[in-house]
Amino acid sequence: MPEVSLSHITMRFGKVVAVDEVDLTIADGEYVTILGPSGCGKTTLIRVVAGILEPTQGEVRINGKSMRGVPIEERDLGYVFQNIALFPHMTVKANAAYGPTVKDLPMEEREQVAKKYLEMVKLLDKMSMFPSELCGGEQQKASLARALATGAKLLLLDEPLSALDARVRVDLRYELRRIAKSLGLTVVHVTHDQEEAMSVSDRIVVMRAGGIVESGTPEQLYTRPRDVFTANFIGETNLLEGWVKQRLPGKSTIELRDNSLIEVENCDPQVGEAVVVSVRPEFVFPFTDGLLSRIEYLTYMGTYWRVSSRSQSNDMVEFDVPSIEGKLYHPGQEVYLMFNRNAAVVYPRPKEGVTEAVKLE
Amino acid sequence: MSRLERATAFVSKPRIRNLWTLIVIVFFLAFVITPTLFVLTYAFTNWDLIQTEVIQDPEMMSQIWTAIANSFEIAAIVTLIDILVGLPMAWILVRKKFRGKELLDTLIDMPLAVPTAALGFSAAIFWGITPADLTNPLGLKIVSSPFLLIILLHIIFSYPYMVRSLSAILEQIDQTFETAGQTLGASKLTAVRTITLPLFRAGLVTGIILCFARSLSETGGTVAALATVANTDFNTAPTLIDSLKSTPALAFTSIVLIILALVLLVVVAIVVKKLHIPFRKVWPRPEKILSRGLAPRLKDATSVLFLVFIVLIPSFFVFTFVFTSSPSTTTDWSQFGQSLVNSFLIAGVVTVIDLAMGIPLALYIAKNRSKWLPETLDILVNVPLIVPTVALGFSLKLFWTGGTPVSGPFAIFLVMLAHIAFTYPLMVRNVTGAVEEIDPTYEETARTLGAKPIQGFKRVLFPMIKASILAGAIMAFTRSLGETGATRAVSTTVLTAPNYIVNLIKLENDYYAAALACIILIIISYALMLALRYITRRRKGVS
Ligand SMILES: Nc1ncnc2c1ncn2[C@@H]1O[C@H](COP(=O)(O)OP(=O)(O)O)[C@@H](O)[C@H]1O
Ligand SMILES: [Mg+2]
Repeated sequence: MPEVSLSHITMRFGKVVAVDEVDLTIADGEYVTILGPSGCGKTTLIRVVAGILEPTQGEVRINGKSMRGVPIEERDLGYVFQNIALFPHMTVKANAAYGPTVKDLPMEEREQVAKKYLEMVKLLDKMSMFPSELCGGEQQKASLARALATGAKLLLLDEPLSALDARVRVDLRYELRRIAKSLGLTVVHVTHDQEEAMSVSDRIVVMRAGGIVESGTPEQLYTRPRDVFTANFIGETNLLEGWVKQRLPGKSTIELRDNSLIEVENCDPQVGEAVVVSVRPEFVFPFTDGLLSRIEYLTYMGTYWRVSSRSQSNDMVEFDVPSIEGKLYHPGQEVYLMFNRNAAVVYPRPKEGVTEAVKLE
Repeated sequence: MSRLERATAFVSKPRIRNLWTLIVIVFFLAFVITPTLFVLTYAFTNWDLIQTEVIQDPEMMSQIWTAIANSFEIAAIVTLIDILVGLPMAWILVRKKFRGKELLDTLIDMPLAVPTAALGFSAAIFWGITPADLTNPLGLKIVSSPFLLIILLHIIFSYPYMVRSLSAILEQIDQTFETAGQTLGASKLTAVRTITLPLFRAGLVTGIILCFARSLSETGGTVAALATVANTDFNTAPTLIDSLKSTPALAFTSIVLIILALVLLVVVAIVVKKLHIPFRKVWPRPEKILSRGLAPRLKDATSVLFLVFIVLIPSFFVFTFVFTSSPSTTTDWSQFGQSLVNSFLIAGVVTVIDLAMGIPLALYIAKNRSKWLPETLDILVNVPLIVPTVALGFSLKLFWTGGTPVSGPFAIFLVMLAHIAFTYPLMVRNVTGAVEEIDPTYEETARTLGAKPIQGFKRVLFPMIKASILAGAIMAFTRSLGETGATRAVSTTVLTAPNYIVNLIKLENDYYAAALACIILIIISYALMLALRYITRRRKGVS
């Protein structure tokens, strides 16, 4: 029953601090994604879990057992590499049978196990082919089957879908989650794709510059992110700076930089404090009054139009209108915008400035 | 239009360019390939002579077969040892990070800078039981078998080639494969054996062939070593060719050597491809024990000790000689001076001709892939690399003179031709490789901007392959400078520096002078090698 816990994990490469004091616990059977922009230390972190890297500081425990000094091959985990890494000189079946082979199981059993997992990923008909004869999605499935065939209950996935076409990527997401849940696996899935993270995870851990920003269910992180970085990184949002003017239970007022007022339901900062309000484009509406804004351009998104406008204080404000209403708006037009009160989230304004705080680095 | 522009336009004319390509191809066939393989025709034209003078002379036959068998046994053993000790060293160089790696990297190449004639002398006084007038208190004096001595000698200069070829392949193999194997439960050793080693296969052929061919060709070092331990009846094929006088016997030995070398090339290529490194059988326990703890450390330590004690110390042991023995008074140093001048003259001329004739051929091959002529030329270019240089030298002499002894300036001229034959492939290989790495669209872009082909070459392509051309030139120069076998096969009287050293040891027993000459030659060659490293480093840094 794998439960993974990381305490104070730090990984340095010379002067570069790739992972900085990370604490994280992953429960048995949980599907966790580690989400963050490229270069934030995700790969380094799961390599530390796998034992490919020895951390500079800190300790990895799997099932409560310290992994210090335990080599990769004795950690009993499956690892799917970003570049797939199927052995090019072996058939798909031999690849899948590699785990049972190096345990020196009897021939029939190797075969049986390999076939079982190839069937699970629906690749049984391609098992005599060599990796180079498969397309990207099939290769990724084969590499998943190979990892599963070791019988490990802990699965580490490093950007498993990033090498694939958009369509295949979406299909495979569901496959991944389905298989993980049916086998009762504990999964740590690393990705920089927030949509992917949202669609597969029980819980998302947001990383930035070597550290963990926050973690929560996809819904929590989308609707009520605790950090302005998360608000900006997951989904899309408008960030507007202002001050708390009035603070009442269930109804507070924020004055924006162009002196217009907006109402929000929840506001932790005190009256007079500098804040930044995050509100997603789907929760901004044109109305008879509100924030005065001039439309700059419209982008067709299929099911809706994304309208990009600029307020008098020169902030970009985006909002969505249904497809059929697209012709009601045109560049240069002035509109008044309202915000959905309970969808707006208020953060204290970061000391380093909003731009700096949401920068991906 | 200026004169230069007009000249540029002239040489850019398709007809002129085709003419030049034609000249280069004819040069290659007439001056490189045909003379190299010409000796083979001797079997048809003079079969009766071979029949009466060689085949029907049992003593001669047994001498020839023994020498050839010695050569192949030595080459096989040397190659095997090189692979076994080369693999761990390649791993250290490619996969490990540690302080002093740069130093180790440099040390590996050191023996390459020592001309083999000097190496032979140095190794013989280190390992061998030498005559009384050669007392060096520091020498080990433990090897009495000439067979073993020659193996130890050949390991020294083939080891760097093997380590370099193996490292080059290992660098191409993504380490993720090994790590993936480990995440699937394989111990380090199991992962290496079942995943990385099978991926080595194709590249291993190059290493084996280079190593084997070098050992098979080696003359100067072997002659020098055998003369140093005062051995007269042990022969390898090259030393036999060096001492034989009868043309039919020489031809017969050369033919057998060339044919066997070419057959071997094909056999090795096939065997290594078919060779089944077992990856279905695993021994989880023993391999696990060998993967961790003491065993890997022991393996690394052994690799480094091997490098130091078997390769490096014997290479440079000659330096101790001048401190432990007294100078002879009879040495004619002006001869050594003259031999150095000759060596540099030959190497210089050879390099210039390699440049002029090699670059156009390389361009032609690299840019016309998938046509039969360039493809054939590409394969043919490798032939002189595999043909043992003594056989090559003899074949070339037979081609130009019919086998009569030569001397004077004409002999020097023939030596140059022989050196061109085995250095030319180095130049072509280097430049072909570099051109093929470059995206052809650069030059095409230049052409769409209005550049004539020759301008395209000068402004766009040349700057990018300049370093490889220079590397090829220095390689050709050093190989020519250190060559003994081909030179002596053409004429033992042509005074090149390695030849001079061999004669000092073999004919005059003037060991002190030989040692001093070796040291001077080592220093000069080392300076050249440093230049080569500097240039190739810079090339890596830029790309
Ligand atoms: N082996 C290494 N040596 C030096 N720096 C490294 C190494 N591996 C990763 N890094 C650095 O650590 C940081 C995090 O890298 P990585 O974990 O690969 O990020 P991610 O997977 O989130 O894109 C990067 O700045 C990267 O350059
Ligand atoms: Mg990564």
